[in-house]
Amino acid sequence: MSTGAPEPLLALSNVNTFYGQAQVHFDLSITVGRGHIVCLLGGNASGKSTTMKIILGLVKPRSGEVMFDGASVIGLTTPQIVRRGIASVPEARRLFADMSVRENILMGAFVRNDREAIAQDLDKMLTLFPKLGQRLSQRAGSLSGGEQQMVAMARALMSRPRLIVMDEPTMGLSPLYVDRVLELIRAINAEGVSVFMVEQNASLALEIAHEAYVLQTGKIVLSGPARTLKEDPRVRDAYLGGSEAA
Amino acid sequence: MSSWLDYTINGLIVGNVYALVAVGLALIFGVSRLINFAQGSIYLVGAYIGWVAVVQLHTPLPLTIILVAVVAALVGLIIERFGLRPLQNSVRIAPLLATIGISFVLDQLVMLTFSPNPRALPSQLPDVRFQVGGGTIGPLDLLIAGVGITSALLLFVFLRYSKLGWAVRAASQDRDAAMQMGVDVNRVNQAVFGIAAALGGVSGMLVGMYYNQIDTAMSLQATLKGVVAEVVGGAGNVPGAVVGSLLLGLVESYGVAVFGTSYRNLFAFLLLVVVLVLRPNGLFASARQAPPEPLTGTFIAPSRPLRIPCWALSAAVAVFAILPLLPVSFYVLQTLINAWLLGMLALSLTLVAGTIGQVSLGHAALLAIGAYTSALLSLTLNLPVGLAIIAGGLMSAALGTILISPSFRLRGHYVSIATLAIGEIVSLVILNWESVTRGPIGISGIPPLSLFGYDLISPASIYWFAFAVMVVLALLQARLLSSHLGRSFRAIRDDDIAARAYGLSLNRYKSLAFIFGGFAAGVSGGIAAHLYSYINHETFNTQQSILALTVVILGGLGNVVGAIVGAVALVGLPEVFRIAAEYRILIYGIVLLLLVRFRPQGLLGTI
Repeated sequence: MSTGAPEPLLALSNVNTFYGQAQVHFDLSITVGRGHIVCLLGGNASGKSTTMKIILGLVKPRSGEVMFDGASVIGLTTPQIVRRGIASVPEARRLFADMSVRENILMGAFVRNDREAIAQDLDKMLTLFPKLGQRLSQRAGSLSGGEQQMVAMARALMSRPRLIVMDEPTMGLSPLYVDRVLELIRAINAEGVSVFMVEQNASLALEIAHEAYVLQTGKIVLSGPARTLKEDPRVRDAYLGGSEAA
Repeated sequence: MSSWLDYTINGLIVGNVYALVAVGLALIFGVSRLINFAQGSIYLVGAYIGWVAVVQLHTPLPLTIILVAVVAALVGLIIERFGLRPLQNSVRIAPLLATIGISFVLDQLVMLTFSPNPRALPSQLPDVRFQVGGGTIGPLDLLIAGVGITSALLLFVFLRYSKLGWAVRAASQDRDAAMQMGVDVNRVNQAVFGIAAALGGVSGMLVGMYYNQIDTAMSLQATLKGVVAEVVGGAGNVPGAVVGSLLLGLVESYGVAVFGTSYRNLFAFLLLVVVLVLRPNGLFASARQAPPEPLTGTFIAPSRPLRIPCWALSAAVAVFAILPLLPVSFYVLQTLINAWLLGMLALSLTLVAGTIGQVSLGHAALLAIGAYTSALLSLTLNLPVGLAIIAGGLMSAALGTILISPSFRLRGHYVSIATLAIGEIVSLVILNWESVTRGPIGISGIPPLSLFGYDLISPASIYWFAFAVMVVLALLQARLLSSHLGRSFRAIRDDDIAARAYGLSLNRYKSLAFIFGGFAAGVSGGIAAHLYSYINHETFNTQQSILALTVVILGGLGNVVGAIVGAVALVGLPEVFRIAAEYRILIYGIVLLLLVRFRPQGLLGTI
C-alpha cells in the first residue's frame, strides 16, 4: 500500500447507463481499493450484472468515468481491458464446454506470451485447485457446477490479473462448494489480487468482503465497510433476514 | 458402363470438393452463427482466378493453387471487413441477408468481367487413368484428394496448436467468454473468413479442372451443396462438415448411377430435407445441443411504419387504375404489369417472412406450382383460364404448404436453408417428372389470359386484370393483418417460445400463413404462365426468390403497401434509368446490401 490517500485500483464515477430508453445506472460510483475484496449487493434487476459489463467494456455507459489503475478504460475493447489486468469469472461460469479443462485454464493465459511462466502457473493452479488435476483432459462441459467454478477461477487467475471481477460466484453451487469458493476468494486475495464480486447472497459476501455497496434499481443506496453494513438494520431487513435464518 | 467402384471414387472425389466449401461454412457458422451465402461466389471467383492463372499467365500448378488461395482469401477478408463487420450489432438476420447481397454482387461482377459464356479450365495434369480394382483413378482425382486431406490436416493443426486456432475454437463456443479472455473477436472473424475463402476458392478451381468447364452458374450450386454438407454434418461442426460432404458426394454419385445425371441435385436436397426433419442438429450432433434461443432480436424490429392516409392510397389506386386511359406507352404498361406480378409474390413473401418471420428463400417454387397447374389445366382439360389461375393459386397454397411443412419445426436460418432446398426440389421435380410437366422441354402454347370467354390481348386489359387481382389480394391481406390472426402471426415472429406458452399452435399458424401466401404467389405464377405462353423449370428460379426478398425488405417487412411500392421501385427504376439488363442483378444486390446496412426497416417501415 502506498502512503497518503492511496489511489484506488478501480474507480467508477457518476456512471449512467441506458438500455435504449431505460436507464440502468443512476450516477453510479464505486471504488475498489488495492488489495481489497469489494462486493456489490442487490436484488434482481438492480443493475449488478450491467456493472460487471461496464467494467469489462461489454456495455458502454452513456456518461461517467471508469478508471483502472489511474487510466481511463472507457472506449477500450474488452480484450484491451483484459490486457490491462482485469480478469473475469462470468456469471454461470461460461466455460468453453467442448474444450478440455487444460485448454480452458490455458485460455485464461491468452493475453500472455511467456510459455514457461504459463506452464508454471498451470502447475500452481493445480495446487490451488487439486481436484482439477485428475480432470485436465476431460471436456469442461462434463464437470459438475462446483468443478466448473474452480476451472473458471483458475482460468481467470492465469492472466495474472490485478483485479478479478466475479459475477455471482456461488450461484447454483452446493453448500459445500459455496464454502470452498469463499475460501478460495480469500486465498486469491491474500496473494495480492483485488476482487470485485457481485452477489445476491449478502450474508456470505459480507463475510469475506472488506467493503460493500448496495445497489437498488440502479442507485447505490448504501456503502461502507462490510463489517458496518452487516450490522446495518436496513441491510439486515432487506438482505439478511431470510438468509440468517437459514 | 462404369463400375460401382468408379461411382464410389467419383463420390468421394466430389465429396472432397464439397468438403473444402463446407468446412469454411462450418468455421464461419461456428464463430458467427452465420450461414455465409457468399461462399459459393468465392468459389466462383477461385475458379476464374484459376482460369486467368492457367490460361493467361501459364502458371505451374502449385503456383496456381497458391495464387487462387491468396486472392480468394483477400476477397474473403474484404467481405468480412466491409460487408459484415458493420452489421455486428444489428439483428441476426441482417448478416445473412448481407451475404446474399454480396453473392449477387460478386457473381455479377464475375459475369460482367468474364462474360456469362462457359470457359474451359484445363487441369495441366497428364490425362492418364490408373486401374484400381474394378475402377480407374486419374491424377486429378489424386490431386483433389491430396488437397482435401492436406487442408484438413493443416486446419486440424491450426485449430489444435496455434494460438489463433485456440481463439477460433473458444470464440465458436462462447463468444463473450472468449472476449473476456482477451480474444479479439474481429481477428478471429478475419481468420475464419480468410481460411474459408481460401479453401472455397481452391475448391472452385479444382471443380473447374475436374469438369474442364467453368461458368457463373457454379456459384449458387456450390453454396447450396456446401450448405447441405455442412448441415448434414451439424452446423458449425468442422469434422462433421467433412463427413457430411463425403456422404453427400456418395449419395449423389450413387443416385446418378441408378437414376441418371439429372437426379444428382434432387438427391442432395432430399438428403438435406431428411436430415433437417429427422436430425436438425446434423448427424453428428452430440446429445447436448445448443439451447433454443427465443427469436427475439433475430428480425428487424418493428419500426414506426410510415402512415399513409386512406385517401392517398385510394388516390394512388385510382391513378394507377386509369393509367391505361392516358396516353402512356405500351412499354410503361408492360413494366407495370411485371411490377404487379412481382407485387403479388411480394405480398406473399412479406406475409411469410415479415409477418410470421419465416424467411423463405424458395418462394419462386410457389410461382412455379401455380404456373404449371394453371397452364396444364387450361391446356389439357380446357379449363377456362380464369378458373385455371384460381386453381393454380389453390394448388400452390395446398402443395406449397405441405412441401414447406417439414420446415415448420425449424427456426431462424434453418428455415431459410430448408425453404431454399424445397424450392430447388420443386424445380428439379418439374425437370424430371416428364410425363406430367414435359420435363426440360417446358410447356409452350399456353392459352392467353381470358375472362368470361373474352381473351385479354390488349396491354390495357392485361394491365387492369393484373392490377385488380393484386389490389384484391392486398386488401384481403391488410384485413388479415389487422385481425386477431395477424397479431398471432406477429407474436410467433417476435418470440415463438412465448407464443407457444400462450397456447398458439405454431404449426397451425405457419400453415395458415403459407396457405394464404401460397395462394397469392400461385395466382401470380398462373397469370405469368398465360402471359408468357411458355414456361419451363427455369422460368421461376432462386434469383426470383431473392428478388422478391429484396422487394419485401425494400418496402418494409410485413408491410402490405410496402411490398407493392418495393415491387414498383425495383421493377420500375431500372427501366426509368435504362439500366442494361446485365447490370440489374448487380443493382439488386447493391440495393439489398445498402438496405440491410442503412435502412433495415425499409422504405415504409416494418410492421
